Amino acid sequence: MRNPYEILGVSKSASAEDIRSAYRKLAKKLHPDLNPGDKKSEDKFKEVSAANELLSDNEKRAKFDAGVIDEAGNEKPQERPFYRDYAGANAGAQGANPNYESASAFSDLGGMDDILAEMLGRQANARRNAPGQDVQYRLSVPFLDAVNGATQRLNLPDGSIIDVKIPAGIAEGQSIRLKGKGSPGRGTGTSGDARVEISILPHPFFTRLGDDLLVELPVSIKEAALGGPIKAPTATGTVLLNIPANSNSGSQLRLKGKGVAGRGDLLVKLRVLLPKRPDQKLNDFLGSWSPDATEDPRGEMAS
Amino acid sequence: MMLKRTEFIARVKIDEDTLDIWLSEQWLIPIHEAEQDAFTEADIARALLIQELEHNFGVNQPGISIALHLLDQLHGARAGLHKTKR
Repeated sequence: MRNPYEILGVSKSASAEDIRSAYRKLAKKLHPDLNPGDKKSEDKFKEVSAANELLSDNEKRAKFDAGVIDEAGNEKPQERPFYRDYAGANAGAQGANPNYESASAFSDLGGMDDILAEMLGRQANARRNAPGQDVQYRLSVPFLDAVNGATQRLNLPDGSIIDVKIPAGIAEGQSIRLKGKGSPGRGTGTSGDARVEISILPHPFFTRLGDDLLVELPVSIKEAALGGPIKAPTATGTVLLNIPANSNSGSQLRLKGKGVAGRGDLLVKLRVLLPKRPDQKLNDFLGSWSPDATEDPRGEMAS
Repeated sequence: MMLKRTEFIARVKIDEDTLDIWLSEQWLIPIHEAEQDAFTEADIARALLIQELEHNFGVNQPGISIALHLLDQLHGARAGLHKTKR
């Protein structure tokens, strides 16, 4: 049996609605009772029905997309992956997840190189003149400093201080290399480098998606219904935003160029809020209010 | 290959509530992109390990948290050691 998405002529990301209408179109054309002379239409119709049966059932579709069942609905033998193949020495492998990487085991001991040297007695066997090893640090950077760029102080274990220049727009997990700030070399050897791995602290109301910034902006009922200018935060300061009248919760405004480091946009999603404490005048008004049109907000949910 | 939430649940054979518990305990920390959780092969392997700890080795919930925490530290140390291998 062919791939069910190909049979119905829809993409893998098709919605349930797309699949239903694609099936209906094909089923109408191919139904054997509507094609009394065509022998082949019965086979094609069965093929289309089987594809629909698989894809219109959310659970079956998820199983098929995940590779758990095949086109006929039969379970496929599954590989049994082991976690160690994606961690430790394999942390960079295809399919790995960097969110689990932890440096905390040795973070109080400075560089890995010192520990290794201590454990393996390398110091005793070191060459007279050798270049210094690289040293790795981890730096937590406040969200807006990562977006706009900043300088941050890094305290080295030997007591000295480096001012690290954080480039605007740096992303989670990226490394900054500081030449010559690693372990000193032996004899005439040059110093190694310091590699500073950046970890970005979350922000109370901004989040980042690539070069865009996202913020959820609460607005009052009055502001949402009547529209008008309101103050909105951006990475570089407050701006005055014009809310269109009749803005609903979830509607999104795009401020071009207000994303990360002048690239990308700031996406402002509006959230309509009732007053924190009940407003008697508002409630009195609503109690006696008859809207112009009778609209059921849950109309689409009626079965 | 990244799996969506529904596909991951089908692949690992757990239900929605179990996945939510594992996420709140941070036993799984999927990559978050386009406002959705995206699960990798590492997450599949980790989920199978969690099931094995619970059902085959009789480890309770706090025990699994400790085991995963130590495992992540161990792998982090191993990764560091491998990086210094020249």
